[in-house]
Amino acid sequence: MVISDIALHFPKNLSEAIRLLGELEEARVLAGGTDLLIEIKQGLVMVKNLISLKKIKELKGIEKKGNRIRMGALSTLEEVMSDPLINQYIPALADAAASMASFQIRSMATVGGNISSAVPSADLPPTLIAAEATVELHCSDSSREVSLSEFFTGPREMICGKGELLTSVFIPLPPDETGIAFQKFALREASALAVVNVASKLTIKKGKIERALIVLGAVAPTPVLASKASGLLCGNKPSDSLFEKAALTAREEGNPISDIRGSIWHRKELIQVLTRRTLDEALSQVQGKLRRGK
Amino acid sequence: MKEERGKHRIVVLNVNSEEHSVAVKDGETLLDVLRDKLRLTGTKKGCNLGVCGACTVLVNGQPKNSCLLLAAACEGDEITTIEGVAGEGVLHSLQRAFINHGAIQCGFCTPGMIISALDLIKRNPDPSEDEIKEALSGNLCRCTGYTRIIDAVKSWKKYKKTKEPPSRSYDSEKFLTVGRSLPRVDAADKVTGRAKFAADYYFQNMLYGKILHSPIPHGRIKKIDTSRAENFPGVKLVLTGKDVPDITYGVSPARYDEYILAKEKVRYVGDEVAAVIAVDEETAEGALNLIQVEYEELPAVFNPTEAVQEGAPQLHERYKNNINTHVDHHFGDIEKGFAEADCIREEEFVGNHVYQNPLEPHTSIAYWENDGSTLVLYSSTQVPHYVHYMVARVLDIPLGDIRIIRPTVGGGFGAKAATTPLDLITSIASKKTGRPVKMLYSRKEMFLYGRGRHKQYMKFKIGVKKDGRITAVKSKIYLDGGAYSSFGVITAYYAGSMIPTLYMIPNYRYEGFRIMTNKPACGAMRGHGTPQPRFAFESLLSMIADDLGIDPVEIRLRNAMEANTRTCNDLDVRSCEFKSTLKEVEKKSGWREKYGKLPPGKGIGIGCGGFVSGAGYAIYRGQVQRSLEKKPEAFQKKAIFPHANAIVKVSEDGTAVIPLILAAEIGQGAATVLSQMCAESLGISLSRVRIRMEDSDISPLDLGAYSSRTTLMGGNAVVMACRDVLKKLFATVSEIWGCKPQELEAGENRIFHKRDKSKDMEWAEAARRYFNEHGPLVGTGWYKPPEELGGDYKGAAVGTSPAFSFGSSVCECRVDLETGKVKIERFTDYHDCGTPINPQAVHAQVEGAVVMGSGETIMEEVIYDGKGNTLNPNLHDYLLMTIKDVPEIFSGIVDSYEPEGPYGAKEIGEGATLPVLAAVAHSIANATGVWIKDLPITPEKILKALKNKEEAA
Ligand SMILES: Cc1cc2nc3c(=O)[nH]c(=O)nc-3n(C[C@H](O)[C@H](O)[C@H](O)COP(=O)(O)OP(=O)(O)OC[C@H]3O[C@@H](n4cnc5c(N)ncnc54)[C@H](O)[C@@H]3O)c2cc1C
Ligand code: FES
Ligand code: FES
Repeated sequence: MVISDIALHFPKNLSEAIRLLGELEEARVLAGGTDLLIEIKQGLVMVKNLISLKKIKELKGIEKKGNRIRMGALSTLEEVMSDPLINQYIPALADAAASMASFQIRSMATVGGNISSAVPSADLPPTLIAAEATVELHCSDSSREVSLSEFFTGPREMICGKGELLTSVFIPLPPDETGIAFQKFALREASALAVVNVASKLTIKKGKIERALIVLGAVAPTPVLASKASGLLCGNKPSDSLFEKAALTAREEGNPISDIRGSIWHRKELIQVLTRRTLDEALSQVQGKLRRGK
Repeated sequence: MKEERGKHRIVVLNVNSEEHSVAVKDGETLLDVLRDKLRLTGTKKGCNLGVCGACTVLVNGQPKNSCLLLAAACEGDEITTIEGVAGEGVLHSLQRAFINHGAIQCGFCTPGMIISALDLIKRNPDPSEDEIKEALSGNLCRCTGYTRIIDAVKSWKKYKKTKEPPSRSYDSEKFLTVGRSLPRVDAADKVTGRAKFAADYYFQNMLYGKILHSPIPHGRIKKIDTSRAENFPGVKLVLTGKDVPDITYGVSPARYDEYILAKEKVRYVGDEVAAVIAVDEETAEGALNLIQVEYEELPAVFNPTEAVQEGAPQLHERYKNNINTHVDHHFGDIEKGFAEADCIREEEFVGNHVYQNPLEPHTSIAYWENDGSTLVLYSSTQVPHYVHYMVARVLDIPLGDIRIIRPTVGGGFGAKAATTPLDLITSIASKKTGRPVKMLYSRKEMFLYGRGRHKQYMKFKIGVKKDGRITAVKSKIYLDGGAYSSFGVITAYYAGSMIPTLYMIPNYRYEGFRIMTNKPACGAMRGHGTPQPRFAFESLLSMIADDLGIDPVEIRLRNAMEANTRTCNDLDVRSCEFKSTLKEVEKKSGWREKYGKLPPGKGIGIGCGGFVSGAGYAIYRGQVQRSLEKKPEAFQKKAIFPHANAIVKVSEDGTAVIPLILAAEIGQGAATVLSQMCAESLGISLSRVRIRMEDSDISPLDLGAYSSRTTLMGGNAVVMACRDVLKKLFATVSEIWGCKPQELEAGENRIFHKRDKSKDMEWAEAARRYFNEHGPLVGTGWYKPPEELGGDYKGAAVGTSPAFSFGSSVCECRVDLETGKVKIERFTDYHDCGTPINPQAVHAQVEGAVVMGSGETIMEEVIYDGKGNTLNPNLHDYLLMTIKDVPEIFSGIVDSYEPEGPYGAKEIGEGATLPVLAAVAHSIANATGVWIKDLPITPEKILKALKNKEEAA
């Protein structure tokens, strides 16, 4: 289909993009287009101007900056999956990217787009939130950095204002003795949105959980930080029964709806199972690191 | 009122190393520009929403979905389409691998598959199976079951780049063609993107049409105002119900109940209300929004149980209580049968409403030629003749004034087995405008048009003796038909008639009701009405086996159908090797070592089934004639006209043989097996055969690709025509040699004397000699099913066939008992399809059916919202199995010979689906300890059943 009255713009740098975004009527930025073009084709959004980010070099690349990893908003899922830094420090993010869509889509879809589409089932946000990532937002005269856990305000809603562009994602390098794991349940092996996805982070010092974060996706309008379940873990020694208790608590912290992918009941069951599995996996990551360290 | 239209800009696109400067609108996708403007139509549009992968192209070496790229944003990129994969006249090794491994059926997914695979082998010349699956994870295929695609990519290195055509290269020393796994005759065109599907045709001055669909499930049309649409710039014609004939159409003659455009009432969300014909698709679509329709909404009903209640909303006056069809069949005496039984079990099952989803969307193009007196209709149909018949009826013109062209078809599975609104609207609109008119369905419109599998609510009761022998079977089935009849009358009969063909059933009762509801009409899908009852029956039989402590394979062997049996419902089974299929799957799958011995979460299950090899009777009664001028005819127990007809024409130089037959190649391989039989019967090599099946002006009538009829019926017609050719040829040659025609034989591209080695002539030379003396060398052949098929009761015609196929499948699966997720790991299937004309093609049908049937059992379903709206009319939410979901599949063929079939052949296309559903369901029950009896068996249902069981314990 042709979207006849759309005008496409190709700003060459960030400031031009931000200027256009502020000036043009019914304008949206176009990254990979794997979400936006589908919305437009289905008549779900009205757009008059599309601002392609394609030519903006500042938005590309994954690199280490101090004690953080910076991912440009235009990093594709394929780049995330294969990036050595990501695989070294937060393999769970590579897992999340690998669980998404299909081969072709992953070479088009971007990190910025996955976050900014603010879809409840999006697969990167849970791991990013668990990893305590922040996002950098630019508008015409300033930029700000906000925690991703505060970014989403509802389905397809976020604090990113009109005229604001998401430029980078920063992930603090996880401290030693930390494991981050991601689990997704979907109805087929490729091109499938999450029925539920969960990411958990555990930092274990001297045999005790020092910090824990459990983040649930697709079970509420925005990703849910299961704070009760996370809190329950802190200060305790990891054990099967502890994890099971946390999983049971997490189950009650999700607030899913029933839709064509799953009912409230099934989603709650899945929260519990996936939470426990991510905790087990995060723990074994830490144990693996310790073993290697020795 | 003119809307502001997007401006064009000139962009320079680098496609296949050639620069094209094209005027594009900013909103145009690369896919549309490649196809519509550059006419590089090898890149396909299957979904337009980024899921199917048919539109995959390489952009700077990376595979991407061209439907999600804007052309204007691709300036400066290097784009490679399928047309650029190999040089002119040369095939890439990968393309050759696809050809030789039989990785192609309809070919619609093939260009995208090859592009994705090409990128993979460039990155990784020796990919593992998992790497192949990952690389092709965004390419859906509905036909092949992916198995052969994986094999092809794995072994691409074995093939060298070759000059085309490769077909000549399989001219081997041996000239025997039947029974050999030869590559498809259309393969080279399909791997290069040259094969032309209906949407790939463009005609000068062509217009485009779009349909306005009803937004409400049930209502009366009070007023339609089309004036704003008519005045919209670019609009040429607007049609509504008053502009189309007052003639109903459909499939079953007793129930023609559809108008081309709604006359008075709409009956489902999607019903056709109006059509706009304009200079391009976008304009037509835009103008649809300007048509104002005032409806008086009527109460609607969405499920059969409510629809039959007194006082329920009535869809059609003629179907009282919304009962469209009622079947009541009783054979033998079930009271007596159940009284004799030692064990009786009754269970309820639900078969789901799935949609065929051929990868190619329906397309029609019509124009009028021959001074405007002859309609030419290009249709992506699987039944060119029935489209021909129906268009003649609705336009009320003789069939002789219509020429139907069936281009390459991208799969059907029943979705393309009826005349569509597109066929009829393009025909009418092209007449009115005097210009060619093209119309295509979007994926969403395909779902709205429907004709998928009926949802069936089934109650089955089986009685058996202690030793497992069946004494009686009873079933009661409600079929949710949707808003119109379509095939449904036949579906309702099929749901009952095929049950007694697999096992010896002495007493049988079937009661079926097809009920109208305010949803898209259901139709015939692969296995037509029979896979769900078969699923129910097989599941129940396995339950009973467990109840009695008899092995599920054993109970089947004890009841299995035997050759030359007349079933209780008067169907004549001739060849039957059902028992061998059971014994073979049992052995090959390691059944005895596994059944009942697997750990929790692992399961094995069995299912069996079979199907007709072509329906015994045509869908309409009487002769081939405009239906409105025929008097209503009484049913006669014989075919009135031949169901398959062939002309075999030899080129004047004798080097080429051209079989003409209107049989429909839709991906299943009809062109190849018919060509093989032609070559075999004439004693020539396959490369000399060039079949023509696409044009009704050229090829004589064949009823098309439904009821798995082509191999048997089309094959018989072709073989007979070939005999006719040989008779003429032998007469000429025997005269030259002064011997008797009976003393001659044809083979290895020669005509020779059976005993006298000195008498030997090139086949082509013999044909030339014939032409010199007698003019064109042509043979004709036809096939009529045997007379007197079936019993004398109402509906006895449905289920009759010259021959029946049989098969058994064993499924092995793994279930995650905490989430309910199923992984189908392995399938073992053996089939009795008579003589396999092309074993590779048989296996390919089985693999495709296993994957389609597995999807139907665990993940596919059209979902409605309770107000008649389809919630998942796209390939994101309607789940087809991807390459990463498919099991390992073993397909085997047992020795069998069907006397009524050409070279002993029977069907495989639909029958292969039948065992699958129950095999999967049984394996899940075996893995989990709970039987899920309503399809699809989703993770949620499994988990729920497990929890319920836990609580009960
Ligand atoms: C077949 C298929 C399967 C999919 N499977 C998955 C899946 O498994 N999991 C999943 O999470 N998603 C999935 N998706 C959705 C989608 O591909 C991803 O969300 C993707 O990451 C979106 O990125 P994009 O660059 O394509 O975004 P775009 O479509 O370009 O943009 C999405 C939205 O974000 C805005 N935007 C983009 N970049 C920025 C920016 N830098 N600053 C501000 N706003 C911005 C756009 O204006 C738009 O509103 C799938 C999509 C398809 C087609
Ligand atoms: S047409 Fe582009 S993915 Fe289906
Ligand atoms: S061959 Fe793949 S869709 Fe038909």
